[in-house]
Amino acid sequence: MSERLEHQQGSRPGGVPEAPGGRSGKRVTVDRWAARGIQRVTAGPLGRYQSAVVRIGFAGTWLLFLLRELPHRHEMYGPDAPWGWDIARQLIAKNGAFTGLMWSDSTVWFEIVYAVAVLSSALLMLGWRTRTMSVLFMVGVLSLQNRSIFMGDGGDNIIHLIAIYLVLTRCGQVWSLDARRAARAARKEAGGVPDGGVPERAVPDRVGPVLWVVLGGFLLVGTWLDQVHVELWMLILFWGLWVAQGLWWAANRYAPHGEPRALLDILANLVHNAGLAVIMAEVCLVYATAGWYKIQGSRWQDGTALYYPLKLDYFSPWPDLSGLLASSGVMVMLLSYGTVIVQVAFPFTLFNRRVKNVLLVAMMLEHAGIAVLLGLPFFSLAMIAADAVFLPTNFLRWLGGRIAGLWDRLFRQRGKPLPEQRSESPEQPRTLVG
Amino acid sequence: MDSYDDEGVPAGPPPGAGIAGLSLRYQVVAAVALAVIGVLACAHVAMVFLHVAPSNTLTKQHGETVDGWIYPEFEQNWKLFAPNPLQQNVAVEARAEVETPDGARRTTDWIDLSAEDGAAIRGNFLPSHVDQNELRRGWDFFVGSRDNKNRPNGLRGQLSESYIRRIVMLRLEDHDLGGSVERLQLRSATTSIAAPSWSKEKVTTRPFYRVFPWWTVNASDLPGGVRNGRTEAGE
Repeated sequence: MSERLEHQQGSRPGGVPEAPGGRSGKRVTVDRWAARGIQRVTAGPLGRYQSAVVRIGFAGTWLLFLLRELPHRHEMYGPDAPWGWDIARQLIAKNGAFTGLMWSDSTVWFEIVYAVAVLSSALLMLGWRTRTMSVLFMVGVLSLQNRSIFMGDGGDNIIHLIAIYLVLTRCGQVWSLDARRAARAARKEAGGVPDGGVPERAVPDRVGPVLWVVLGGFLLVGTWLDQVHVELWMLILFWGLWVAQGLWWAANRYAPHGEPRALLDILANLVHNAGLAVIMAEVCLVYATAGWYKIQGSRWQDGTALYYPLKLDYFSPWPDLSGLLASSGVMVMLLSYGTVIVQVAFPFTLFNRRVKNVLLVAMMLEHAGIAVLLGLPFFSLAMIAADAVFLPTNFLRWLGGRIAGLWDRLFRQRGKPLPEQRSESPEQPRTLVG
Repeated sequence: MDSYDDEGVPAGPPPGAGIAGLSLRYQVVAAVALAVIGVLACAHVAMVFLHVAPSNTLTKQHGETVDGWIYPEFEQNWKLFAPNPLQQNVAVEARAEVETPDGARRTTDWIDLSAEDGAAIRGNFLPSHVDQNELRRGWDFFVGSRDNKNRPNGLRGQLSESYIRRIVMLRLEDHDLGGSVERLQLRSATTSIAAPSWSKEKVTTRPFYRVFPWWTVNASDLPGGVRNGRTEAGE
């Protein structure tokens, strides 16, 4: 492999490939193709907008869910819930699932965990200390869901999976407070004078180290006190992330232009790209499973399948509306067949951009319909967020721009200019959050 | 965490130079990392694939490996409404033997707890998991972990029975039964959904009942906040 790499290095010294290339019609050897691919997955995080939209989507969905269930939180996850602490303990002792709620059966501890889950979702959505918040987000999701596994549905399931995968990604590169801070720091370093003020000096980051030390302490105590044996890979993940954060900080601080920092950057890119690929594969598997198993069902074959969920008491919040749709045999059949076709076809359409985008729109619309018709808003929101990983970059940038513009019109014309936002330079990508 | 290093610093590669910008020693480390991460990612996707795929040659031979990788955190079930959607409404009903303050015992009528869930869901844009999943999934779990003679099936059987009792006692707390619940009986009423109007199928829509034996209620059946008809002074 190193031979190839040297070859690559010789042919393109320090080259930063922007496009996959190889489309120009000329023959590219497998060797160069592989080298180019390796260069690409190490040079930077791919799908920066896609990973950001997945981050915002899932953190937002979980946040809304936690806020909606705030009045029911004790019944769902509290120590005295019907699925009681002792009952949960017996099951978890067998399967080894991770949940911080098993560390204590006190109500105070439960409230703390719930509060951390809410707070980390909000901060992950905004992209503040994104990597750290993604870990806390995962801890919150797993702690609550694994505490009461019979409380969830498909929506909880996909949030559970993506929460783990998101930890691996650099999902705060755009549309985040982190990105804004990085851009500002870069401007300061370049000696820019913001808004006619005096030139600012780069202030050393204090919040990061404090967070690192505090969370390291929690991690140590957690590892020590963990009586229910958590899975080994989970422990490696937590400590690995913690060590990596420390190394990254040290490299940036003491040798920002050195090779160790470049290597860390490359490792982070590799993990990010692998994580994003796994997320995409996971979404494909979700649709493939849902579709291929439906094909085998007699009701999906005879075109009446959709009629039945519309008549289930647990999934018909609007019986009149459901009844109206269920009364048309042709409509029910078209939707039933359409659902199966779209789900089975979707993974294959990834090879064709235009068809993929059409199906993506169809699936998002169907999920929006399910949200209302079957009364599954959080499931639908989570699935739409998962679909969004396949949205084209141009569209996402356009959408981000529109939302930023809307934000400007709504909040800036009220005579209260936000000083920190005015320093945004025009060529920086606008952020969703400010 | 984009890098914004000044260009022209001789020590290191420019930002975003990728593996090509590293010296050979570092390239080797990066290449090894690439291989390990690549293999792990592919292995994970393969394991998830085998987990969601139907039983096949590979899963019959290496099912334990797949399960060991997937459980507990990567478990998933995407057979939503597949192969066929559920075609029955299952209602959970409960009745109680209540001891009134004067010492008399009486048995209540059947109370349809699922109907209460349905009422909470109807007209609601944001149905709660408490109404949509708690009793419904708890009942599935309960029924699924009993053998055909209605006996609990190992640990899951015991846990599911305890769970369903606690759910029901929590629900009954909202009813004024005029005393404390001493004994409890559950049944499910399964009603097939009528065939669509355009279909010629004949479906009986009479409910089918599955009745479970009486249980004596004890303290472990009462989740938090459930007083079970006892007054402050009575405790």
